[in-house]
Amino acid sequence: MGISAQARLALGWLLLTGITLFAWWMGSSHGPGPLRPDPAVAAGAIAITVVKVRVIIMEFMDARHAPRRLRYLTDSFLALFVIAMLATYRFA
Amino acid sequence: MWVLVMIEGLTFAAYFVVYTYFYRQSPDLFLASQAHLDLTLGVVNTIILLTSSWSIARCVERSRAGDYKAALRNVLLTMAGGFLFAGIKLYEWSVEIGRGFTFTTNTFFSFYYFLTGIHLLHIIVGSIALFVVIHQLSSPARRAQEIIETGATYWHMVDFLWVIIFALLYVMR
Repeated sequence: MGISAQARLALGWLLLTGITLFAWWMGSSHGPGPLRPDPAVAAGAIAITVVKVRVIIMEFMDARHAPRRLRYLTDSFLALFVIAMLATYRFA
Repeated sequence: MWVLVMIEGLTFAAYFVVYTYFYRQSPDLFLASQAHLDLTLGVVNTIILLTSSWSIARCVERSRAGDYKAALRNVLLTMAGGFLFAGIKLYEWSVEIGRGFTFTTNTFFSFYYFLTGIHLLHIIVGSIALFVVIHQLSSPARRAQEIIETGATYWHMVDFLWVIIFALLYVMR
């Protein structure tokens, strides 16, 4: 038996909040002295953000029940966004 | 509504790429400025908005099930989350301005006020959409599911735009 819609939404919220707390830890964990550019933190921040946006789109906006075309469109958009952000960070 | 979501998503994605480009041109300036932001307040506001997104999703689910009383309760909770978010954001701005960091201080703070300001504008528009949802739910004569879900979709968009803004301004380095 599958979980109820309410429970699924609650799990989505728990996941999103957990990822946000992880981002908090990631953003605040740095050595003494001024902040320095950190490609690992940048890539991590972009990656977890895209995961969060996808959870919001699929679970909260209910795109997982939407026509396949919409899911392809949103996933393609997120993939292009990650590529554009990482390329800008790496090559700008 | 999904067309609007895609247009807004593309527009904001362009802002985020431009922000990253400028960050890479002056990383020391951006990171020295970022250090003045309150990461904890950013996290609190993110969780508030995620919670409001959860409650509007519950509102849609309850409305589909015909439980309009619970749906109304959830949209009111969403609205409260939006107001709380806006209040904390205004407090954060007042702290930064009090420290002398304004729109014209440097490129980072120009982006900070522009991105958070335009997002706050979306919170205001989203609140109007939530008022429409409340109006729909408060009378058995209305309750158009499509209007309720359109308002909810807009609010979720406001939520995910903030999720990206938070990562860029507060976490990325």
